Amino acid sequence: MTSLLEVKNISKYYRAKNGWLKQRRICALEPLSFSIQRGETIAIMGETGSGKSTIARLIAGAEAPSSGEIYLNGELLNPHDYQTRCREIRMIFQDSLSSLNSQLTIGRQLLEPLKFNTGWSQAEQLERVYVILQKVGLLPDHFHFYPHMLSSGQQQRVCIARAIILEPQIIVADEAFASLDPSIRAQIINLILDLQEDMGISFIFASHSPEIVKHVADKILIMHRGKMIEFDSTQALLTNPKEQISKNLLQSEQLNKALKHTTTQE
Amino acid sequence: MSTILDIRNLTIELETSAGTVKVLDKVSLQLAEGEIHTLVGESGSGKSLLAKAIMGFINPRWKITADRLWWRHYDLLSLSPAQRRLVTGRDMAMIFQNPGSYLDPNTKIGDQIRETIPKADLKGIYLRRKASRTVRAERLLHRVGIKDHQKVMESYPYQLSEGVAQKVSIAMAIAHNPKLLIADEPTTAMEPNTRNQIYRLLAKLSAGQGMSILMVTQDLTSIVPESQRMSLVYCGQLMESGATEQLLTTPMHPYTQAMLQMSFFDQDIAPKTRLPTLTGAIPTLQHMPIGCRLGPRCPNARRDCIHQPRLTKFKQREFACHFPIREVKSHD
Repeated sequence: MTSLLEVKNISKYYRAKNGWLKQRRICALEPLSFSIQRGETIAIMGETGSGKSTIARLIAGAEAPSSGEIYLNGELLNPHDYQTRCREIRMIFQDSLSSLNSQLTIGRQLLEPLKFNTGWSQAEQLERVYVILQKVGLLPDHFHFYPHMLSSGQQQRVCIARAIILEPQIIVADEAFASLDPSIRAQIINLILDLQEDMGISFIFASHSPEIVKHVADKILIMHRGKMIEFDSTQALLTNPKEQISKNLLQSEQLNKALKHTTTQE
Repeated sequence: MSTILDIRNLTIELETSAGTVKVLDKVSLQLAEGEIHTLVGESGSGKSLLAKAIMGFINPRWKITADRLWWRHYDLLSLSPAQRRLVTGRDMAMIFQNPGSYLDPNTKIGDQIRETIPKADLKGIYLRRKASRTVRAERLLHRVGIKDHQKVMESYPYQLSEGVAQKVSIAMAIAHNPKLLIADEPTTAMEPNTRNQIYRLLAKLSAGQGMSILMVTQDLTSIVPESQRMSLVYCGQLMESGATEQLLTTPMHPYTQAMLQMSFFDQDIAPKTRLPTLTGAIPTLQHMPIGCRLGPRCPNARRDCIHQPRLTKFKQREFACHFPIREVKSHD
């Protein structure tokens, strides 16, 4: 069985000027390979500058890799094939307000991907928008709202609606939960779990919160300075991390809790 | 330990187009000497406003009333602005989130730290004072755990990582040995390793110098392990307050319990299951519900919740709820 998404040896280098003519190559991502099955959730963890956002951007097609290929359902995905990418792989960003167009109503923003990627009639498009709005827990009335009129949780819901409106196979989220309030964050996590069950979407997300990763992810990919350190199922990594770095990343909060429990027992 | 900051029924009212809104509604807070107190609240809960009210960063449009707002033996509300500035400047300091963005981008870190060192501490004539300023600045950087002081002092804020920038801002805050440090979400959007470093540093300062710290945070997952007491505010109302371990293990208020569950403290929640959460969104300022403001989102809400509950005190803790999760034993 071919996996849904297969990443083979992708890497990313940037060039930086060093003097007048010399150039220096900065390695953001060393060659790495992994694959994702349908309906699976993968968490990418790492420190700042470890390349976790780079992976997310390469998969979503926001940047072209310096080398390596990405296969979707066994077919090679061209870095500049935006048509397929738009439809199959969609992205959610951290700051929902700045990723929405402040001059368009929610409805118009959700119509845009449909206009560009489907040959549907206006009535069909509108119907789809209303269905999606309901699916992410918003009201039909929100069609006419502007982004600033919504709360941060609702804005993030609109971003999710925009991501799922074309029924993609993969959603890539870069720190999508980081800036939300706890109660809203729990709602958004529930929403994503629900959608995943409904639509069988695979979900790739970068995060530095061990709690969320433990709760949501099937597999964890640990990055350190542009290298993939470990890639394994959540259970295996939690019980038996091979590297100290993974241990630190996954248990930094656990430590706090452990401290708490010992003090209460004393 | 004696109480050094005593706030009783602090209310801040704002004039808006929809009428007067109570942004903070009868919040009480006591802070003992050398204690780390965590103030937890979601966005719009007024937690930063409370911090500002203590520091005296007050907008003239706000109407502040309180039964007590005492700092040691000063009644902060009755002091004249000049006197209050003197007291605040001598005894209190504050650090903020996004440290890199509020350091002066045009000045080297070294100059910025040198500037914060109080004049009264320096002796000698001009050149002597200048040299001792530099020595003091280096010592401050060592105290917050920056070993390479030369490099940091010669750099501009954009050249520092956020962890180092926050350490620099802590160094500037403790330059005049304040008695109270208010940290307004100092570690949001920091990665766990850096965050733990900052926490260890704050805990060390509090234990070593008897500095009281009021940690304002949004999230229960980011509380300092050494924190002794904790208060939860929601939409400007105090929900529960008490010893940190007590609150984390035996919450009385439904809001505390919900926050614990949403912050993954409950180990029983299996991965991939739906998280228990509060329904709906945080109300906006213009649409605050009457009575207990948690009412519309509370799982235990009943008819009585349209009246604001009084603070119930028992066993060193306080909570404001008509229907607490656990029973209060009256003989305690």
